[in-house]
Amino acid sequence: MSILKLLADSFMRILLPGLRVTIPLTLISFVLSLIIGTITALVQFANIRFLKTLARFYIWVIRGTPLLIQLFVVFYGLPNVGIVIDPLPAAIIVFSINEGAYSAETIRGALESIPKGQIEAGYCCGLNFLQVMWHIVLPQAFRVAFPSLANSLIAMVKNTSLAANITVMEMFMVTQQIVARTYQALALYLELAFIYLMISTILTKLQTYLEGRFNERGIQR
Amino acid sequence: MIEVKGIRKRFGNLEVLKGIDLKINKGDVVAILGPSGSGKTTLLRCMNFLEKCDEGQMIFDDEEFAMASVSNKKIHEIRNKTAFVFQSFNLFANKTALENVTLGLKVAKKINKAEADEIGKKMLDKVGLEDKYNAYPSQLSGGQQQRVAIARALAGNPEIIYFDEPTSALDPELIGEVLRVIKELADEQMTMLVVTHEMNFARHISNRVVFMENGSILENCETDKFFNNRTNERIRSFIANIMQKGE
Ligand SMILES: Nc1ncnc2c1ncn2[C@@H]1O[C@H](COP(=O)(O)OP(=O)(O)OP(=O)(O)O)[C@@H](O)[C@H]1O
Ligand SMILES: [Mg+2]
Repeated sequence: MSILKLLADSFMRILLPGLRVTIPLTLISFVLSLIIGTITALVQFANIRFLKTLARFYIWVIRGTPLLIQLFVVFYGLPNVGIVIDPLPAAIIVFSINEGAYSAETIRGALESIPKGQIEAGYCCGLNFLQVMWHIVLPQAFRVAFPSLANSLIAMVKNTSLAANITVMEMFMVTQQIVARTYQALALYLELAFIYLMISTILTKLQTYLEGRFNERGIQR
Repeated sequence: MIEVKGIRKRFGNLEVLKGIDLKINKGDVVAILGPSGSGKTTLLRCMNFLEKCDEGQMIFDDEEFAMASVSNKKIHEIRNKTAFVFQSFNLFANKTALENVTLGLKVAKKINKAEADEIGKKMLDKVGLEDKYNAYPSQLSGGQQQRVAIARALAGNPEIIYFDEPTSALDPELIGEVLRVIKELADEQMTMLVVTHEMNFARHISNRVVFMENGSILENCETDKFFNNRTNERIRSFIANIMQKGE
């Protein structure tokens, strides 16, 4: 079997788990991480003492430990205390909690960059804290944080390959299996790298496009 | 209408307000004058609870309460009946002029969008911005931004509007358009408390003048009486000084 034919045959076999697992895993984890990150940033911004301490602790632990070990703790470790989670949900949990700690810091910085006067003006219009956050601060903070969050999303697509270590059937895992049968490691791993590159490129293009859209509305500062 | 008694406020060791008593009647336009650092902004902020004072009573619509221990509910209630115009406009940068004006109506007062838009447009028309409904703050001049801020203040139909140096951040040629709007409100008997350095404005539009220095009120009298002051040397020199600068 020629290498070219192998590459052509394997392309769809690798891309399919990409579409079915890697991309959903990334998107779901990313959306959850944004929710976790936003809440973690908000409780710090609102200066709620107990929750703020908790938030700092969470960020400290997650940012201070390797992602791979976090995956192992949840998937291989938790069954020791009777908590058994399927590979894909385990990966989603770990990726969203991990990314949440990073995006919390990005979002907190963005929140703090919004002029205090707008917040006070919001209160003077009769809005409460959450309304001020939702209508005034978060939309602007999101634009500030957007480039950095988009970078995290691209990094996350690539990091999902780590999920192969906890038996998630994503692209890396599938490629490994094909390599095990065909011994064409170089060609196949290059092909896999190329698929990741394509996905990252599409996301980068999307990022540039969206940033342009934001700026069109005359809101950049 | 609104009265405060004995407001005290300190920042660390610095006592910024040393017992302020002030009563504002319906339809009053009160100008607050005084040198920089005398506590004018702080007084206004305390009255709208953007700053919590350490001591003081407030009587708002015949209800008296202690300002230092006021509940969030009461603050909310008072903010819905008052409005604040800031020196630096503080428009919501992610909202158009019309959205700036209607946000409080829609979100805080739960008025439906159609009705809120109608009120918003009316307010923007009133301040002469009928052609700027959909402009973002970054597309407006300082004078226009401040007029949007005034329209936003008016939209909630407040019982009193607080102005903190509404023209100080503006280029000289833009001051007039904002002052004209405020004068119109005065003619309509809007109750206003205005911190200003514009002597002519204070003289011709306010009916009372409060002169502050060092965290205290030195004088609180009718406007004519204030500007014809012959007795208080400190006030005379302040007026002379500012008039000179203004020329
Ligand atoms: N948040 C703060 N923390 C510490 N000190 C403050 C704070 N806000 C105001 N001050 C101090 O309180 C004093 C009164 O300030 P305030 O802004 O009320 O004066 P002002 O009369 O409005 O002056 P200006 O005419 O310059 O606006 C000043 O000495 C100022 O430095
Ligand atoms: Mg001031």
